[in-house]
Amino acid sequence: MEGIRSSTRSRDLLRKIKEFTLSILEDLSEGLSPLIFIQSFRTYCTNLDLICSCRSNQPSGHEILTFQKESHVHRIDVLLRVLLIVQQLLQENKHASKRDIYYMHPLIFSDQSVVDRAINDICILLQCSRHNLNVVSVGNGLVMGWLRFFEAGRKFDCINSPNTAHTVPVLVEDVKDLVSAALYILVVEKESVFQRLENDKFCSKNRCIVITGRGYPDVPTRRFLRLLVDKLCLPVYCLVDCDPYGFDILATYRFGSMQMAYDAKFLRVPQIQWLGAFPSDSENYDLPKQCLLPLTIEDKRKTEAMLQRCYLHQEVPDWRSELELMLQRGTKFEIEALSVHSLSFLSEVYIPGKIQEIKSICQV
Amino acid sequence: MDISSVQKLCIDLISSAVQRCRLSEDLCRLSVVLKSSPPIIRVSISDTGTGSCLEEFQDLKCNREGIGTEKWDGLLSIKTTSISDNKIYHYHLNLRGSVSARRLTRLPSILKNDAKFSGTEVCLSISETIDALLNDIKHYFQKMLILKIPSVAAELVIERGDASGLRCQNVFLPNECSPLNFSSSNVERLKSGLEEYVLKHRNSLNNKCDSCFCSREKLKISSGVARSMESHRSPGLIVEAVIAISEHSESLCFRSSGNKTEVLHFKDFSPSSVSIASLNALTSIDWRSYGLTLVSAVDQVDHALIEWESLPPYLHIDMVIHCYHKQVITFPGKCKYQPDRHLIKKGVKLALDDLKEKHTGLLLSAHAVKICSYAPDLASSIAGIILSSNDVKFRSKCSLLLELSQSQEIGKQTVEDRIKEKIISVIETNDRKPEKIKEAAPFLFEDDRPQDLDPADLYLEEHEGGDDVFSFPD
Repeated sequence: MEGIRSSTRSRDLLRKIKEFTLSILEDLSEGLSPLIFIQSFRTYCTNLDLICSCRSNQPSGHEILTFQKESHVHRIDVLLRVLLIVQQLLQENKHASKRDIYYMHPLIFSDQSVVDRAINDICILLQCSRHNLNVVSVGNGLVMGWLRFFEAGRKFDCINSPNTAHTVPVLVEDVKDLVSAALYILVVEKESVFQRLENDKFCSKNRCIVITGRGYPDVPTRRFLRLLVDKLCLPVYCLVDCDPYGFDILATYRFGSMQMAYDAKFLRVPQIQWLGAFPSDSENYDLPKQCLLPLTIEDKRKTEAMLQRCYLHQEVPDWRSELELMLQRGTKFEIEALSVHSLSFLSEVYIPGKIQEIKSICQV
Repeated sequence: MDISSVQKLCIDLISSAVQRCRLSEDLCRLSVVLKSSPPIIRVSISDTGTGSCLEEFQDLKCNREGIGTEKWDGLLSIKTTSISDNKIYHYHLNLRGSVSARRLTRLPSILKNDAKFSGTEVCLSISETIDALLNDIKHYFQKMLILKIPSVAAELVIERGDASGLRCQNVFLPNECSPLNFSSSNVERLKSGLEEYVLKHRNSLNNKCDSCFCSREKLKISSGVARSMESHRSPGLIVEAVIAISEHSESLCFRSSGNKTEVLHFKDFSPSSVSIASLNALTSIDWRSYGLTLVSAVDQVDHALIEWESLPPYLHIDMVIHCYHKQVITFPGKCKYQPDRHLIKKGVKLALDDLKEKHTGLLLSAHAVKICSYAPDLASSIAGIILSSNDVKFRSKCSLLLELSQSQEIGKQTVEDRIKEKIISVIETNDRKPEKIKEAAPFLFEDDRPQDLDPADLYLEEHEGGDDVFSFPD
């Protein structure tokens, strides 16, 4: 993705780690408290009055960590510990997951989120992505369809068996010889929908690639999707439940997550389109009232908070209208509700219909 | 009540004598002679200070109601002369007489015949046990020594008129343990006085205790002086505070009064009682920024007693506060102006800050101590990064910065200890800076304040596969 060979990248990062350590020692030897500048990034803001720069990939500000505040010192302590581990991983060319790192000092780290934050801080400090630090996680995503590639020597031939699911590769760098005969990529929110499509042999009748993150997509899934989009230049459609969490997952694919904001430009897929399900689908497809669930108080709070996000006003106002409609009606429904008419309604009617609609809009 | 009044009367008379000595610019002698012929003690207080005027003695009248006539008949015999007088005036003053009656009796003056001197002698007879009075006077003089008033030499003479006919004499001279010359400021003297007081285990010994204080560094002393503005309405007031911190690594004579501090009070160069302003000042100081926690501050008549929550073992704190007018005044009793709480607080704070400034690591605030507790961890991680690096040049650059030898065989412990030292020293240095500098650096960009983000967005825990609807892996 960055086009730089990994060994050069490692050397680069090791050099930056050494420079960082030397600067701390220099400050200490002069009797000064070390200052650590960490830039802050965000994928959206809630300041709707101004035209914001959230999409510019630039940092939105910075924090300065010092030895003068106890909370900072704790954060620096964790950061240094993780940095030590990262240096060892890079020097020995080994990989570890975030969970592995957590278990190296569980008493100091006290919680996985503490480690996650330190890893993000280090990525920002060293200006790299997480996988550059040799910190990886097993991908949680699944892919099937008209696709073939090699991952670290093993062949994944989905073209021969397009309805067989494979796990998303952990390291996108290991993906070679990507070949596809697909016409589009379909991203689905849930594993249950993925299985529905698998079962209905959706990929036999439709030349596409189906991918799922099984909920909020993890980094390997997002990076893989990004690779597919960049290499294959295919349209991408996203199918999520008609509820606040589904919408949030869609937003994560499109704009990136706040947690990984510093790497958002490599992880987001701006071309992704919202296929469904829309609140208006409940009428258009005659969903019986029992399939519509009421929005809970949490759901409403979440929806109201999401409506404040700057990109819903500046980039995708049409998405905002649908979300407002959901809030107005006070109801939500899952994709599975579309099976009320028939089990294969989703694969045979809904999805192809929606895709046809989008194509015809684009042609106009 | 009666008993202490008689002693207080004597002390007040001695106190006035001290003021008169201070007013005079020469060296003065102050003598207190107690002639005991039981049950009567004849007390004679004489000084070679400036002459006194009668108003001084009229003022004593108000406090004498409490003294029973059996203790004192109310008569004072006064002989006084100023340097410009050519006679010594002699009076009998009857403070128990009614207002217009002949309280004052003039006796024949004594001619000075061109001799130039000044002084006062006050005599009275009281019915009291000599030991109680003696204790109080001795105590008073010992406290006076802390002030180290340069120009006054005091002596206490006791003549026992009983069978033994003993005459003994105690002389109270400001002792010169440390060099002080005539031009030392009042606060320097106070420091020196407190130092001696502490070295002698609060005057329980005659000389400094060598076993506890074999090296000078065991005792750390600092001072703070706060002045109020002079105006036509209020005179200039000065508050001097001196703090002494002693650390005994092992002490044979150290009594376990560990968690308490006696705060001695002086007012206008005389030991005084504790004022409410002073107690308020002591309780309102932010002791936490000096690493101390105050439990209580109580008035114990001649000193204030502070109880601390917990002090490091073998650490003891002594304090003295002296409030006085810039101009020497002859009638301290008449003074209406008291230093307010703020002035006293300022003086004590200045002394505490001075102590921190001079001795790094002393009186570290609770906040700094907490941060120092991270130092071993931080040092360990940094040492780990240095030592586990493949790069030899990097390691030797680090050794150079840490002032360690360049040889390859540096142990991890040495590196860690050196880094830890430096971190602690930086934290201690930062702790000394005044609060103003500790404000957070101003935000460079307007939008730097963290926005109110949806909490679900940040740092969610990773869940295993399973529940596929609401899993938040990342």
